[in-house]
Amino acid sequence: MIRNKKLFLVVTSILVLALALAGCGQKPAEEAKGQKDTIVVAQSADAKSLDPHATNDSTSSNVMTQIYDTLVYATEDMEIQPGLAESWNQVDDTTWEFNIRKGVKFHNGEELKASDVKFTLDRMMKSSKVSHIVEAIDSVEVVDDYKVVIKTKEPFSPLLAHLAHSAAGILNEKAVKEAGDNYGQNPVGTGPFKFVSWEAGDKITLERFDDYFRGPAKLKKVIFRVVPEGTNRTIGLETGEIDIAYGIEPIDKDRVANHENLQLIEAPSLGMYYIGFNCEKAPFDNKLVRQAVSYAINPDDIIEAVLSGSGFKANSPIAPGVFGYNDKLNRYEYNPEKAKELLKEAGYENGFKTELWISGSLANQIAQIVQAQLKEIGIDVSIESLEWGTYIDRTAKGEQEMFFLGWTTVTGDADYGLYPLFHSSAKGSAGNRSFYGNPEVDKLLEQGKVATDIEKREEIYKKAQELIMEDAPIFPLFYKLQNAGTQKFIKGFKLHPAGHHKLYNIYFE
Amino acid sequence: MHKYILHRLLLLIPVILGVTFIVYSIMYLTPGDPAQIILGESAPPEKVEQLREEMGLNDPFIVQYFRFIKNGLKGDFGRSYSTRRPVFEEIFARFPATLKLTIAGVLVAIIIGIPVGIISATKQYSLFDNVSMVGALLGVSMPNFWFGLMLVLVFSVTLKWLPSGGDNGLSSLVLPAITLGTSAAALITRMTRSSMLEVIRQDYIRTARAKGVLEKKVINKHALKNALIPIITVVGLQFGYLLGGAVLTETVFSWPGVGRLLVDAIRQKDTPMVLASVVFVSVTFSFVNLMVDILYAYVDPRIKSQYK
Repeated sequence: MIRNKKLFLVVTSILVLALALAGCGQKPAEEAKGQKDTIVVAQSADAKSLDPHATNDSTSSNVMTQIYDTLVYATEDMEIQPGLAESWNQVDDTTWEFNIRKGVKFHNGEELKASDVKFTLDRMMKSSKVSHIVEAIDSVEVVDDYKVVIKTKEPFSPLLAHLAHSAAGILNEKAVKEAGDNYGQNPVGTGPFKFVSWEAGDKITLERFDDYFRGPAKLKKVIFRVVPEGTNRTIGLETGEIDIAYGIEPIDKDRVANHENLQLIEAPSLGMYYIGFNCEKAPFDNKLVRQAVSYAINPDDIIEAVLSGSGFKANSPIAPGVFGYNDKLNRYEYNPEKAKELLKEAGYENGFKTELWISGSLANQIAQIVQAQLKEIGIDVSIESLEWGTYIDRTAKGEQEMFFLGWTTVTGDADYGLYPLFHSSAKGSAGNRSFYGNPEVDKLLEQGKVATDIEKREEIYKKAQELIMEDAPIFPLFYKLQNAGTQKFIKGFKLHPAGHHKLYNIYFE
Repeated sequence: MHKYILHRLLLLIPVILGVTFIVYSIMYLTPGDPAQIILGESAPPEKVEQLREEMGLNDPFIVQYFRFIKNGLKGDFGRSYSTRRPVFEEIFARFPATLKLTIAGVLVAIIIGIPVGIISATKQYSLFDNVSMVGALLGVSMPNFWFGLMLVLVFSVTLKWLPSGGDNGLSSLVLPAITLGTSAAALITRMTRSSMLEVIRQDYIRTARAKGVLEKKVINKHALKNALIPIITVVGLQFGYLLGGAVLTETVFSWPGVGRLLVDAIRQKDTPMVLASVVFVSVTFSFVNLMVDILYAYVDPRIKSQYK
């Protein structure tokens, strides 16, 4: 009987512990019915850090873009507008002067000073994760409390576009130094929402910053929830637990669009997805073969079957929203007959065997369509599916023949979209995984970096795209549309082409 | 008994050393460069090199491993490559959610599994027995993520009774706990039934019945107690196993547990995070095993006498 009692005790204590623990997690209902002033935003992964210099991934940026402001920012139409810098002028080819807005407060009460800007950019230049964005900068000098001078190593026209990148958000020197190694979990910016709490893997809570320099936001609280499964984000919208869900799966699009309380927002992104060819490996070292494959793939089938229509055919390596985009380029329209002719001309009348390297499930679906289409012109493709780390490692070494990848020109400037992918100095891990090199293209891309005349720059990039498309080191398949599902009462929400969406203007109706 | 516990705790040391060595080797040998993964698909080689140097990845394997052990002994398991936070801070931030889900899941399993198992055994081949055995078979074979989604469809989308995901109070625990609990319940039911059947046929049960002991007492006192050992083993194993994280259930219910943390870390080749998680999981598993062994002693005095 005694032993029975002991067992009874063990079981009861487990029960009590369980209930107590479950009780710990119970929080008061987020809000009473009636006045809604909080929104719940769902995205697929947790932020990695809220220190803009510690990471450069889109889920983190989506949170940080609410907390920080940049010197200048790009609107949803990709126009550069004054941010924390109220004005600027280019003194000479390599010198830019920025006038900092007066009276801007950080979330810790400190006032924004030119020294914070210098501190931020100097810190950014030392970061292994984001220094490439400000690589062109040589030095930042403080003239007075409200003026900084940025000098670039060489003339660098897209400087403003780079300063508008969400990673270039301005930090408060004091807050960074105080927090030390833990700054990533204690961010302080000047943005419309300030950081409140972070429950790892679950949610990040932000609260309205009443001293925001453009005036306080209408929302009082923003909660970023981690919902890894696409279907669950849609379900959360349907049950009303989620107000905005990023990345609705193609299969769920209609469900959201047809729901009486929900709306589906779709907008172009700056991303382009492509099939790349290793230009240093036979048979893809032959331009005719690359062109033949380009003619033999029909992106319409892919857009229809894999994306459920959420994309449109690409005609250039950069998307239409990017500065320098050439809308006059001829794309390789699907033409298997022409593809066969080109293959014959290249000496591969009977086709050949090759591999298509991919990583991820979207890539896998696309690869199967490409495989079937290339079979029609006699090319026998085997699909090699690799884990992401292995994939980027081995494609950087040039072991692949054909590969599938995407690229997003986050700065909205052709330099960022073309230089890493097609300049011969960027072969391998720097981005040029097709190992493409054309001295003429190299020259144009270098000129584009330094040209100060806007029209001339545009001409340069248009020409570069023509040459690249003719050489066909990659076959641009499609520009993907980005989407979000929201409750119908959410107004004032727009998707930003760079993929980091601001929530400042949201109000309820 | 105390000596026995101490002995078991000391055994943890070689276990942890072995586990870390194996995991470290696997992480080292699998292709994919953590620096390149962190920097993404466009990172100039010099930046990749800079980061590799910063992370100490250029040192030989043995140097890296011993540095890890040395720092580990000082209680410093390093910072996650991807979040830069101390790894155990990340794990402990997630562990309460996992513990909560595990306890709730196992409770569901026990509450369903043991009574159903007992009734099935006492009424062998009855309708109840057949139905519950089919149910148990279904429970074992049903994929967790599918069952979880079905529960969400019914209770969150259609009936709107319970939240579809997240860790937000007791109500959000119900569906994930049922999802986890049913497959464990199925195992426990089958184990309870077979263990009970074996005991019920023993001579001392017949003796008890012949003495005119009430059937209820025969089952609860004489039979169940003697059948408990294998049941405790199964429950303990399930408990330890779930403490290591239930990735699928966590994903379906957006539950911020340790399982997802570990899988994400593996995907990103976040070696310090993977190592710390695996060490943590193996230690908790060993502890649960120890607890189970101690529990044996309370249930069966014959076993207690062996713990010297």
